[in-house]
Amino acid sequence: MSPTQISLNHVKKTFRTRGLGKRKEFDALVDLSLDLRKGEILGVVGESGSGKSTLGRCAFGIVPVTSGKVTVFGEDISQVSGSALRDIKKRMGFVFQDPIASLNPRMYVKDLIAEPMRMHQEFSHNFYERIEYLASRVGLSSEQLQRRPHELSGGQCQRVAIARAISTNPEILLLDEPTSSLDLSVQAQILNLLSDLRSEFSLSYLLISHDLDVISHLSDRTMVLHDGQIVEFGDTQSIINDPQQEYTKTLLRMKSGSGRIDTLGTSSPSLPPGFDLDMWQEAPLNRWAFQNVEKFISTQIIEASSTPAPWAECKQSPWRDLEISGEGSIGSILESTYTDALLVVQNGNIVIEHYENGMNPESKHLLQSVSKGILGVLYAQLEAEGLLATSDLIIEHIPELAGSGYATATISEALDMTLALNFSEEYHDPDSEIQQQDRSANWRHRLAGDVPGIHPFLQSLTGSGQHGQQFQYCSANTDLLAWIAERVCGDTYATILSDRLWKPMGLVTDSTITVDEFGAPLANGGISMTARDLARFGALFLDEGYIGNQAVVPKKWIAQTLAGASNSVQSVEYLQVLHPGGSYKNQWWITKGENQEIYCVGIYGQYIWIDPTTKTIIVKFSTLPVATNSEHSRLHMALFREISRRKF
Amino acid sequence: MSAPIIRVSNLAVDFASKGIVVNTPLRGVSFEVESGKTLGIVGETGCGKTLTGLSILNLLPPNAIRRGEIWLDGHGELNSQNMADVRGVQISFIFQNPHSAFNPVFTIEKQLKIVAHRQGLDHHQGERIIRDRLKEVGLDDIDRVLTSFPHQLSGGMLQRCMIAMALLGIPKLLIADEPTTALDSTIARQILTLIYNLQKQYGFALILISHDVGLVSDIADNIAVLYAGRVVETGTTNLVLSDPKHPYTRGLLQAIPSASVVRGGLTAIPGQVPANTLTIVGCSFASRCSQVQASCANDPALKEIAGRNVACGVVTR
Repeated sequence: MSPTQISLNHVKKTFRTRGLGKRKEFDALVDLSLDLRKGEILGVVGESGSGKSTLGRCAFGIVPVTSGKVTVFGEDISQVSGSALRDIKKRMGFVFQDPIASLNPRMYVKDLIAEPMRMHQEFSHNFYERIEYLASRVGLSSEQLQRRPHELSGGQCQRVAIARAISTNPEILLLDEPTSSLDLSVQAQILNLLSDLRSEFSLSYLLISHDLDVISHLSDRTMVLHDGQIVEFGDTQSIINDPQQEYTKTLLRMKSGSGRIDTLGTSSPSLPPGFDLDMWQEAPLNRWAFQNVEKFISTQIIEASSTPAPWAECKQSPWRDLEISGEGSIGSILESTYTDALLVVQNGNIVIEHYENGMNPESKHLLQSVSKGILGVLYAQLEAEGLLATSDLIIEHIPELAGSGYATATISEALDMTLALNFSEEYHDPDSEIQQQDRSANWRHRLAGDVPGIHPFLQSLTGSGQHGQQFQYCSANTDLLAWIAERVCGDTYATILSDRLWKPMGLVTDSTITVDEFGAPLANGGISMTARDLARFGALFLDEGYIGNQAVVPKKWIAQTLAGASNSVQSVEYLQVLHPGGSYKNQWWITKGENQEIYCVGIYGQYIWIDPTTKTIIVKFSTLPVATNSEHSRLHMALFREISRRKF
Repeated sequence: MSAPIIRVSNLAVDFASKGIVVNTPLRGVSFEVESGKTLGIVGETGCGKTLTGLSILNLLPPNAIRRGEIWLDGHGELNSQNMADVRGVQISFIFQNPHSAFNPVFTIEKQLKIVAHRQGLDHHQGERIIRDRLKEVGLDDIDRVLTSFPHQLSGGMLQRCMIAMALLGIPKLLIADEPTTALDSTIARQILTLIYNLQKQYGFALILISHDVGLVSDIADNIAVLYAGRVVETGTTNLVLSDPKHPYTRGLLQAIPSASVVRGGLTAIPGQVPANTLTIVGCSFASRCSQVQASCANDPALKEIAGRNVACGVVTR
């Protein structure tokens, strides 16, 4: 580590106000410690009254501290005086905020620059040459040396102040808001100059500013100061990119240029007018919200592969006017079903790729319950790795659930949704468990009496009978399975997905998953990804678990899943109409239709549809005005069946 | 698209001394603002931003000569006769430093009542509306605020009082000249959000004058970049800031420091804004411009390039 040039040890600075009234004391600095290392730029950022200027003045011995110790160049500044103090001061330079006010108006620029050298009796035979050199180094012409401060602009005055500050060859510089009174274009000149001078003269800076942009641009380390106390102190990059304290986050969020003010009542940036957390899944907000979930719900990133395997670009033949028997053209169906994206892959080639509503091949879209199918595929991996067996009891992995409806359930029953739980999937009923779960996951505003967080919510669920008997679609099961995955892998769900699926599958774009305030993922519906990446999951089913030469899931699992479950989904009437004899296996819907199609569906019209017979994968993202509707389901299925059976 | 509330064409201001024009800080500025919309005027010190705001209300020093036309919806062209009906009633102004904008020897209540009276409100109406507005601008302890003198309130509170004062009569146009520059960034954002929400509620047009491009991008629908008393680029905020065309706009945006720019690698515009526009021949930015050509000796007019208006003789697309 570089040697320390200034160190503050438990410094306290108290100001006393005097007058006729009550005497008041005000603590400008409270127990503050820091060290300025050789050659570094230490940034101090804070609002007015935070004590940042006082900190600078104390550190440079301009004002005495009330208690604590200030050491400069290894000497206790309060103990030195006379020539020793002068020697220390010679090694320091100062630049203050208002250049015009800090320069004596009656002096010429050349005398202003010479003044510190005169004070420190640094005369040499080339004294005037040195003044000219300093002036030219900070970008002043020799003609300007003959002027007085009022004849210069603000930026030029600040250059004079900098020339003064470096005239005695100091080692450390106090820069107190050096560019705050300057225009943007001039500020850039001064910041560049300061940066150049630092390298040239190997200076250390204590840089004080209210402007986070300036601090983050120049400093190596940053200290956030509030009410005379350190809020956060560390490496500038990590403070800017990953602030730990709420106050720092606020400062970053509130700085100008941080995003459009577009909402009534809330301070969060870049939400559309009238945004309401309780209404974003509904029309018309969902058209915007399904592509922008990370703007209003916390998310974690599922990292894409560093060696992506994108789909080959392919020429599309005209498809818009193709008729779907009895339903109209493909184009008209897309229009009537609020389509955001349609991607059709046949025999490994993209044959239809169509985006609407501002989407493009890189746009992520919320998958809703299509997210469940991804967990199903992950479980094939976890089982293959021997981390768990689907016959395991759930409480073997999550003992916390012993008191809940999950107490006697197995993993495979959760995967195939044959658990008997008191769980209503009525999306529009505020008393339903699905809405309670949304609230516990921060997808909606919490109500009084709601359990906070996804895991406590899962613990609160109760059983309704014997497990393993009958199909019952229950979104919570997927979140439970994600909890188990996190437990057995010892990692976050986002990382597990990235390491085990996204990276081996060569997915191209980073995806996101929503998490609650404790970091628990909403695995049943919270993933947002691109249509192209999602289609890769279809390719797994067509290529026996392979992506290219990479085996991702065992061939056996693909076959098992395609074969479906023994008990069909008869209990749900409209599913019987859609796909008679169909079933639900490993978080996927099995149609048992002529072509043995398999699919996942999410509310408001999200689909991945795989036809193993014709080697077709269809991904469709939509933002329908209603969550579920049997007519929409029927229409989509008709559309997908006909597209799959066509040869493109 | 709704009709404009205010239309300013070829607004220019001369400063004269002993009958001779010594400087022309504003050299023909034109823009219009629709109701409910926000125009952001950005530029550096001395480019004429504040003067633009002040000359709309004819609040200029006696040695200033104003030229050009200002048309206000429902009042026609503004002149010294109808200005009295408009100033503070149809067009309100928020100044930069709240502490110097209020009279230090009167209470807030007294000063608000003077304005309420000017709006034609009687005593009771006035009192009610003053309290309503103070509540709307987010002040809690209204009784204390009303009986306070300006120095007894913080900058943020006082700026809220000024906004309440400006909105007493619901103007058609609000001109905010650096409304948050004297405030801390967290308070600034609150004040900006407040102005935005009140605009959505009352639908007034807003002219936001600021040197801070970031601030303007947070709220303005349209933007006008001023340089040496001229508009050099104007269009929708999104378009202009995401893909600036004029070399000055581009330079200004590149000069914003951030963590992602290598230290010392900021693209600074050399030189400074010309102090006196009378000395300018041809393009005012030519002396600092990296793309300067022989044709820059001619004064460029605003012309449409890529969906916005740019005054540059070199940039063509």
